Amino acid sequence: MPATDYQGTSSPLTNIGRSLLPVRRDQVHAMESPIGGSASNEAEIESFQRRVADGFHELASVPSDELLSLPWVRKLLDVFLCCQEEFRVILFNNIALVKKSPMDRLIADFYERTVKALDVCNAIRDGIEQIRQWQKLLEIVLCALGDSNAGYQRSLGEGQFRRARKALIDLAIGMLDEKDSGQALAHRNRSFGRHNTSGSHSKDHHHRSLGHFRSLSWSVSRSWSAARQLQAIGNNLAAPRGNEVLATNGLAVPVYTMGSVLLFVMWALVAAIPCQDRGLQVHFNVPRQFLWSSPILWLHERILEESKKRDRKNACGLLREIYQMEKCSRLLGELADSVQFPLSEDKESEVKQRVKELEQVLDALKEDLEPLEKQVREVFHRIVRSRTEGLDSFARGHNPE
Amino acid sequence: MELPENLNKDSNGYESAEKIILRWDSTASEDARERMIFETDRQEADLYLQAVDEIQRSLSNVSISTSSNAGKNANAVDDQSKVNTTIQIAMARLEDEFRNILITHSSALETDSLFDPSSSSISTPSHHELEEDDTLSNDDSSHHDLLQLQLQLQHCESSDSSTYRSTSSIREVDLMPSEAICDLQAIAMRMISSGYLRECIQVYGSVRKSAIDSSFRKLGIEKLSIGDVQRLEWEALESKIRRWIRAAKVCVRILFASEKKLCEQIFECVGTDIDDACFMETVKGPAIQLFNFAEAISISRRSPEKLFKILDLHDALMDLLPDIEAVFDSKSSDSIRVQAAEILSRLAEAARGILSEFESAVLREPSRVPVPGGTIHPLTRYVMNYISLISDYKQTLIELIISKPSTGSRYSGDQTTPDMEFAELEGKTPLALHLIWIIVVLQFNLDGKSKHYRDASLAHLFIMNNVHYIVQKVKGSPELREMIGDDYLRKLTGKFRQAATSYQRATWVSVLYCLRDEGLHVSGSFSSGVSKSALRERFKTFNAMFEEVHRTQATWLIPDTQLREELRISISEKVIPAYRSFLGRFRSHIESGRHPENYIKYSVEDLETAVLDFFEGYPVSQHLRKRSQ
Repeated sequence: MPATDYQGTSSPLTNIGRSLLPVRRDQVHAMESPIGGSASNEAEIESFQRRVADGFHELASVPSDELLSLPWVRKLLDVFLCCQEEFRVILFNNIALVKKSPMDRLIADFYERTVKALDVCNAIRDGIEQIRQWQKLLEIVLCALGDSNAGYQRSLGEGQFRRARKALIDLAIGMLDEKDSGQALAHRNRSFGRHNTSGSHSKDHHHRSLGHFRSLSWSVSRSWSAARQLQAIGNNLAAPRGNEVLATNGLAVPVYTMGSVLLFVMWALVAAIPCQDRGLQVHFNVPRQFLWSSPILWLHERILEESKKRDRKNACGLLREIYQMEKCSRLLGELADSVQFPLSEDKESEVKQRVKELEQVLDALKEDLEPLEKQVREVFHRIVRSRTEGLDSFARGHNPE
Repeated sequence: MELPENLNKDSNGYESAEKIILRWDSTASEDARERMIFETDRQEADLYLQAVDEIQRSLSNVSISTSSNAGKNANAVDDQSKVNTTIQIAMARLEDEFRNILITHSSALETDSLFDPSSSSISTPSHHELEEDDTLSNDDSSHHDLLQLQLQLQHCESSDSSTYRSTSSIREVDLMPSEAICDLQAIAMRMISSGYLRECIQVYGSVRKSAIDSSFRKLGIEKLSIGDVQRLEWEALESKIRRWIRAAKVCVRILFASEKKLCEQIFECVGTDIDDACFMETVKGPAIQLFNFAEAISISRRSPEKLFKILDLHDALMDLLPDIEAVFDSKSSDSIRVQAAEILSRLAEAARGILSEFESAVLREPSRVPVPGGTIHPLTRYVMNYISLISDYKQTLIELIISKPSTGSRYSGDQTTPDMEFAELEGKTPLALHLIWIIVVLQFNLDGKSKHYRDASLAHLFIMNNVHYIVQKVKGSPELREMIGDDYLRKLTGKFRQAATSYQRATWVSVLYCLRDEGLHVSGSFSSGVSKSALRERFKTFNAMFEEVHRTQATWLIPDTQLREELRISISEKVIPAYRSFLGRFRSHIESGRHPENYIKYSVEDLETAVLDFFEGYPVSQHLRKRSQ
């Protein structure tokens, strides 16, 4: 596996436009800056564009087996937070300009987008909580089949497998995407058929409650849709026209940049993390002149490709760790269904191998899930803060006529 | 001889224990699947628990023997596997029993009984009650709506506060009967000692979570996204905020507190932190869902009408915070405490933002159409009602408003912003300064509006009316009066007095000018000394001017009866004596000529009566009536 897929596929792109939008370059220079501070302003904007591009170049240059992993998603949010901070500074330094038309409208649009992103953040927080539920079920599996907490050499017996299987069934139900839960429930009955003839009312309730449980874990109404939310964030997001760039002394460029970054980051989060009604049909029409367009478009393409892979098509999230959880639990489930007791040495070592893999996934989750949750919250806070600052400064100096 | 006997006894105990466990293996028999032990057979339940203990004991024996034989003994390995399987069967059974007991006793909290019944009948003031003395209807109806909104808010507040008594402090209720708790405890203990802690938490969390969910539904706590909240009409949100405040109190002080107690009752004796893990597993999601709404409100768009509900929300959360901290006191519930505190500070920030937004809205309120009759402008009413409501929230706002208003100096030289001298206002709280600033800004705006009157007298009357209204409103509220202070109040009083004087000057100087002596005496004519024609002309001019003033100013309006009375008296005091003496001096000159009634149309009494028509706001139907003839 090539360590840097991205460099390979995009080498021609890195040369493109190591400068700002051409239109800016020509026209802003020609303009006898009426608002003042244009030179430093331009440098600021240019460095922002570069920073954004660098951040995403770095994200895009990870080997493909790290793409969409927990550490990668965390890096993505770091990049977002950096961009957001720099963007805030730019706005702050250009407060007078921000209040003038057409900047006021562009910035108001931007804040509208950010509010919509807040709901995505909350949905992602719920999704992380859900991953945590799966993690807990897998910990049961590990507890049943692992040997870490036993002081004596344990051999694996039927009891342990029954325990593990129970947790795996719960996990399989929990991981089903809502829309195909009915069909998959039938599938589960087939694959775990032998041990699932139980009709006890309490067990029935148990399984019903698992489905119910899922609806409990979302803090938004049932009609909320991540896909629609993403569309709303991206609504009317278009590269600024030349005259807009001129009229805003170039500021329209960072506003568009930040809007695109916001859309992409939210889209990638929805791609990775389970949430209600995921859907990735968002169009990115970023003109190639923008420095950061190539890494973002490339990442977009890669993630879309990932989502179309046969074994990922119905995944509840493209997060690498979810994939590994699914894989581990499926293999372990198959093993649990097929083993005979007493366990042959072959089988035993196979189980050991799977359990070891499971342990690794769980370690990764333990490491990164909580920091990710905190980061998502931080993104939420930053968005709120910058919007509040923006609205405040609007209110103070806004002339209605 | 003793040893084998012991072993024998052990294995007997084990076998009968195993028999009980296997009898209740729900994967094996129909009967075992259908029946729940703890539900149907008390005695059997106890036997079952003893059996589990027995198996656990032998599990530790087996593991000891296994480790001492270092795995050489195939029998021991077999035994171990067998015991493990039995344990698993027992644990699966116990898990089901545990779940079943939980479900049997998981009904939603009886929330109805938690509320004072009077809370359901919040009285909404009727329309005309809110109109006050405002007989004027003009195009600025939006102000009236807002005004009504404010008054409504005030109303609901006062009737709500009494109903919260039942939820004013943490009040745990028993969610389950003690027998059920005993059973759950017994099962939990065995699941945990067999290493099934995770399963136990899992089951506990999932059942209790759905119990909380149904309580939430009873309390009317909805799942609303930030987008939903942004889209809702403010009026709809207001009632949701009201409901949320009530629900949050029940949630934190009763629902969550009771859940916590239940966790402690079941798990506290079983092991450290297990109760806490179960509690968080149960309430984390619901708590987040609960706070999401308040958070959404705290970041919603700011506008003046939202201030008071935001303050209500702030106060409610502030009041709840110590209890939130008490209920969520563990390390693992850190995020919930933090979120509550964050929302609180955001609400405070929103209140501050709204206040400064209100200030600039008052400054820039753009309506230009002059209010007919020079009466009180809807803006004045709105602003004054608003700031007297602010004074009702004084306690909170004094804490929240910590910086002075952003006034003058920055804009000095700017014609669009008034100045304010802070020097004279030393020692005032920032909140008081903001209130004074709002009044300053309001007057500034009103001064601008007064310039749209064509008649200078009416402009003065307009200012007089409005500033007088401001003074009355301030005097009417002890809190407001205290904050504004008598010094500034005196300034305001001076201002409307000045406007009254300016009015009189503008209207009456020219009228009274007709009654002067100069110009009537004919110099050189020794016999009479008074020019009859000039005198006639004077009377005619006076009559015409007075009639005109009477006709127009009867339609002007001074809504305050006392002020109206005072101004009329003041007019009478100037006009009547002047007329009387003029009449006294010159009446004979007119009456000696032809048609005196053409020149002396009005008696002193006629004028006195006519002045009573002034500022009533009605057009006079006839010309000035001559009563004395």
